[in-house]
Amino acid sequence: MAVSSFNQSHDAVMARYDAVDDVYRETRDMRLLGFVLFLVSDVVLFSAFIFAYLYLRNSVPNWPPITNTGHQLPRFDVAFAAVNSCVLFGSGATMHFAMENWKHLNKPAFNLWMIATIVLGITFLGGQVYEYQHVAITWAGSTMGATFFTLTGMHGFHVFIGIIYLITLYIQANNGVYTGSKYFGLTAGTLYWHFVDVIWVALFYLFYLM
Amino acid sequence: MAVAVAHAGAVDHRDHIHPEPEGFIAKYIFSIDAKVIGVQYMVAGLLFFIISGLLAEVVRTQLLTPTGAIVSNDTYNAVYSLHGSGMVWMTIIPLVTGGFGNYVMPLQIGARDVAFPWLNLVAFWMFPVAGVILFSSFLIGAPDAGWTEYPPISVQGPPGTSLWCVAIFLIGISSTLTGINFLVTILKMRAPGMTFTRMPLFVWAQLATAMLNMVATTALAGALLALFLERQFNVPFYDPGRGGSPLLWQHMFWFYSHPAVYIMILPAFGIVSEIFPTFTRKPIFGYKMIAFSSIAIALLGFMVWAHHMFTSGMAPWLQLPFMILTMVIAVPTGIKIFSWMATLWGGKIEFHPAMLFAIGFLVTFSFGGITGVFLSAVPVDLHEHGTYFVVAHIHYVLFGGSMFGIFAGLYYWWPKITGRLMSYKLGVIHFWVTFVSFNVTFLPMHWLGLEGMPRRVAQYRPEFQFWNDVASVGSFFLAASTLILLYNMAQSLLHGKKSPPNPWGARTLEWTISSPPPYYNYKTIPAVLKNPYNFGEPLPYLGIEPQVDEDGKAGVDPIPAHA
Repeated sequence: MAVSSFNQSHDAVMARYDAVDDVYRETRDMRLLGFVLFLVSDVVLFSAFIFAYLYLRNSVPNWPPITNTGHQLPRFDVAFAAVNSCVLFGSGATMHFAMENWKHLNKPAFNLWMIATIVLGITFLGGQVYEYQHVAITWAGSTMGATFFTLTGMHGFHVFIGIIYLITLYIQANNGVYTGSKYFGLTAGTLYWHFVDVIWVALFYLFYLM
Repeated sequence: MAVAVAHAGAVDHRDHIHPEPEGFIAKYIFSIDAKVIGVQYMVAGLLFFIISGLLAEVVRTQLLTPTGAIVSNDTYNAVYSLHGSGMVWMTIIPLVTGGFGNYVMPLQIGARDVAFPWLNLVAFWMFPVAGVILFSSFLIGAPDAGWTEYPPISVQGPPGTSLWCVAIFLIGISSTLTGINFLVTILKMRAPGMTFTRMPLFVWAQLATAMLNMVATTALAGALLALFLERQFNVPFYDPGRGGSPLLWQHMFWFYSHPAVYIMILPAFGIVSEIFPTFTRKPIFGYKMIAFSSIAIALLGFMVWAHHMFTSGMAPWLQLPFMILTMVIAVPTGIKIFSWMATLWGGKIEFHPAMLFAIGFLVTFSFGGITGVFLSAVPVDLHEHGTYFVVAHIHYVLFGGSMFGIFAGLYYWWPKITGRLMSYKLGVIHFWVTFVSFNVTFLPMHWLGLEGMPRRVAQYRPEFQFWNDVASVGSFFLAASTLILLYNMAQSLLHGKKSPPNPWGARTLEWTISSPPPYYNYKTIPAVLKNPYNFGEPLPYLGIEPQVDEDGKAGVDPIPAHA
């Protein structure tokens, strides 16, 4: 079984994409725009907390901050987070392959890459839980903990929703909900998953590298 | 508006009409029809308007005497906090976006519904739920830090403050969803031929508002979530004792709440932009300038939030840019004001109640806009911040602006919504009682503020009593004026004269169909050839075909009654 045989031309894929009735085309256009706008408003939610993080970070002389008892909090463990980030970024790549295979009508490969994406997503969440258990700071203990746990928690919640979404899409795709022309649900799922990835790029830089 | 038959001969998928739902609940409670949802928003919004208005009367009764007779200081704090929150989030924003936006906007662009009807249903039902949660906070100790809920007071506030967070979070999500829905509707579902420069100005206003709703509201959701977490789980965001910053709240709150000012006023701009040309029988002056200035206001609205924070200890170098940007907003707003005045100039003005409220809007909103420019100047703001001058300013722009716009819109579209006319005479009386008592209530607050009376106080120095009493008496008449409106509405629903499709001779699309419109709005989607303000051009319009009902007989003449 070829896992990524994009044996059809780009034109053939696009021709299939366009070979839909007018109602579906207009509905797809509207849903795509609506979904992108939803992601934009979600970016603003993350941006609000990122602003809060930068604001609080810049309002004290030291970062990690020094607590009221006088000791400086430790930095986060970059090595573990880097490995876990690679898991999530890898899932973005597998999602891309899954989508491309669907467009090229290679359903077995689509299934394989989808399962890989879901497994990587769950692995990332497991890594997050592990990190939460081993990190030296607490949610309510400092502004560092407040911003870290709130932002990564919000992101983790998005990943969790994303995994449920992907499982739903997998089941739907294997029950004939989508065709080679009509697959807006998969497009939206892919967009959402890449969105979760991109947010993590920002969070990884802000908390571990900056 | 010049209308022609679309897709002559060809059967278009747009001609597909969904069957009307059967049964009371599907038809009126959980309807996905934007018109029904619009009316639901209006009914719920009016209810919350009355509740919040009664809270305002408690405030004014308390302030009749310097020592404050009727409620305790703590109750007073809760009352004005919920008055503000209720008016902003449960009255004005739902009425101008959810109410008029849902009812009028799809009709004006020639669509059968909004882009995502089910999302619309979900967004609506968040609103009454949020309202009930907000006002139920009275049962467990209502929020007492004003509608802005600044930390640290709000962090230490009564338990109801957390309910406040939940309620405003919910209404925020509702606004975001409505914003997304309206943006897609306006961008993708306009009738054939309706280019951007042929869109009615109300639609332009809804477009700008939807952009603001979509982008700004989630920032407020972030601020509310952080406040909720700090209150419930002791997570430090705003507590300066643990490295947090109260200023952080102010930045996040005003990043939403200043654009929210434009969310509240832009649709009102749109409403009066429809009314002025109709009742002057003239094309609107500066169509493109009015349309583009809405977008300019929406964009500039994101860059001025910190003018609320001049006295908050913000970095001083930020004051000058925010002051200048704030004053720049007066330019697009002034463009609108002068365009409306030029529309009135030389027109054949009919002083219909809708037109009276639109003219009243022009007067009071301009006044409020000018005091806004005062407040944007840092040296003046340092003196006026936190006084009754600010209270006067906000009521001139929100009551004299948004609420007057809502009243104007109500008189204007009432026959379209209900199919019945309202009493002209009662409408005129309602306007004059409202206009006079509004000014008696809020004009003296400028002087109180300039003399140094602080806002949000239950007691005050005896020398302020005279003007406080004047304001309180004015507010009692203002409350009574609402009764005239309610009586007029009830009277119209019970005994009102049946309205023709186009009682005012207006030229936007919604007037080409029956009053009230059928479930599917348009039997045939109209094609649009011109912008809708071409008064003075000869009738009949080009290529017009009367809209007919489903059975094909009850045809409606789209030509205005007395254009």
